[in-house]
Amino acid sequence: MDDEDMSCTSNDDDDYDCCDDDYYNDCDVDATDDVAVTSTHSEEAEFECLNVAQVEKVFVESVKTLMLRLNIGDKVAKLLLVANSWDIEYIVSMYRMNRYDLFRQSHMAAKSDVAYEKPKNGYCSVCAIDGYESLASLQCGHCFCEQCWNCHIESRLSEGVATRIECMESECGVYCPPDFVYEILEKGPLRAKYDRFLFRDLVLSHRELKFCVGKDCQVVIRSNEDKPKRVTCESCHTAFCVKCGVDYHAPTSCDTIKQWLTKCADDSETANYISAHTKDCPQCHSCIEKAGGCNHIQCTRCRYHFCWMCFGDWKTHGSEYYECSRYKENPSVAAEANHVKARRALEKYLHYFERFENHSKSLKMEEQLRDKIRKKIEDKVNEHNGTWIDWQYLHSSVSLLTKCRYTLQYTYPFAYYMQSGPRKQLFEYQQAQLEKEVEELAWAVERADATARGALEAHMHRAEHKRQTLLHDFFF
Amino acid sequence: MSATRRLQKELGDLKSCGVKAYENVDCEESNLLKWTVLLVPDKEPYNKGAFKVGITFPVDYPFKPPKVLFETKIYHPNIDEEGKFCLPIVARENWKPATKTEQVMMALLSLINEPEPSHPIRADVAEEYQKDRKKFLKTAEEFTKKHAEKRPE
Repeated sequence: MDDEDMSCTSNDDDDYDCCDDDYYNDCDVDATDDVAVTSTHSEEAEFECLNVAQVEKVFVESVKTLMLRLNIGDKVAKLLLVANSWDIEYIVSMYRMNRYDLFRQSHMAAKSDVAYEKPKNGYCSVCAIDGYESLASLQCGHCFCEQCWNCHIESRLSEGVATRIECMESECGVYCPPDFVYEILEKGPLRAKYDRFLFRDLVLSHRELKFCVGKDCQVVIRSNEDKPKRVTCESCHTAFCVKCGVDYHAPTSCDTIKQWLTKCADDSETANYISAHTKDCPQCHSCIEKAGGCNHIQCTRCRYHFCWMCFGDWKTHGSEYYECSRYKENPSVAAEANHVKARRALEKYLHYFERFENHSKSLKMEEQLRDKIRKKIEDKVNEHNGTWIDWQYLHSSVSLLTKCRYTLQYTYPFAYYMQSGPRKQLFEYQQAQLEKEVEELAWAVERADATARGALEAHMHRAEHKRQTLLHDFFF
Repeated sequence: MSATRRLQKELGDLKSCGVKAYENVDCEESNLLKWTVLLVPDKEPYNKGAFKVGITFPVDYPFKPPKVLFETKIYHPNIDEEGKFCLPIVARENWKPATKTEQVMMALLSLINEPEPSHPIRADVAEEYQKDRKKFLKTAEEFTKKHAEKRPE
């Protein structure tokens, strides 16, 4: 029954395929622009690039707004904002509901249920010395000497902690506010370090702000995009995902790409090991690791004797070849059912990984193609064969190829984590279509001399159309 | 060095506190930064012996946590063969300068008495603890009898 249903669907798909192609071909004739589908969706996030002064201004504006709405001081307002992702509406509603809970959640007030006795005779329980004239404390009231506070703050700063320096008392979650830290540190060399970390923490706590991931780039990106779209830094031109900061990865989601990249980092070694050191039994296909030197292998699962080198039946090996019998090592053979499962899981992973990697390599090689095309254009112009503008379509064809292949590359992690079902079938169908168009486009671009401009542009249009359709159905 | 004064006070307090569960608190004669404490758990299967724990305080104590290590072998889901364990109270990122060694010892004792199989350091022992409690108790008790220190009178 299931089979019938399946075949029904795939027939339907085929039908759609025909219709689609007809429709697209009709469209080609009329199309003047090479991007025809969804103009309402953009892969580029809306964003602005800010410098330090502009970022400070963003902070000041939020602080002012919150001060006016709740009638509170600027320092309290800033602490509340930092602790709550600068979400003014959330803070206002929580404040009106129960301000003490909000202060506790924001690490600005202590839990009231923990008993604490104020120390007598100026005793500091951290250094165990008494007789201090004054002790310092945060909102929670836990008193310690200034010297210990200084050591504590210095110690936390050395570990990169700035806004989240907690009170020294066990189990007290109140954070040291900047004012307190400044008072303790005075004007020492640590103050500059604290300021630097403080700025970093403020940016990280703000849901619309993100540091540019480019090397040594100081730019802060501001965007309220909620989809993992692409930003390109105006200063260093690094492109990355606005949500998670890694390479742009449509149609895959941030969580999935993270999982995929971790998996690739973890598994590539294991995968290499398995492919280098194991083979499948020629009879029952169990995964076998050869640990001894002997090439005479007996599969522990199906008891088949075979030669590790030629995979032939051991019985057919002549006695002269039996030299390795001198090593009496017992070949350690792994042939449990879960090994077969592991091998199958690995095969699935490798299927997607190889394609992902292959497109990544192709992208690198097409960088060279881009240089070649640039040179070709120069040569043509020098030979007075058309003007620079006349040949720009060659340039855009390589750009489009890169764009399409890039998306194609990131369809593989998406497909790997997708659950089987009609949606995956549709996805893999569209992926195959894009795959086909990209390779045809690559072929045409590499032979751009032999391909007429019209034909090349038709390829470009079709590839971009497939790409847009896929993104439209699975990303936007 | 603020450590000296604080350590002397803590050592004195611990020695005179009279709590049975941790006895024989000692520190090396020439080095106040190295202590050993004998933990005396009161729950099965560890109540047949006592466990020696080594504490090494960093020079910048109490602003950095002490390192605590079991010197007696113990069969426990949360303590590994080298005597290492995971205790949030002495983890670097959770450490509080006002936390006293006595609190650390209390936390360690409660970890011994109440294993946390949900985040084990020895997965095999944790599995046995959850699936075959009888076998676990037997092995741990035999292990305690064989390896642990004598309980003080």
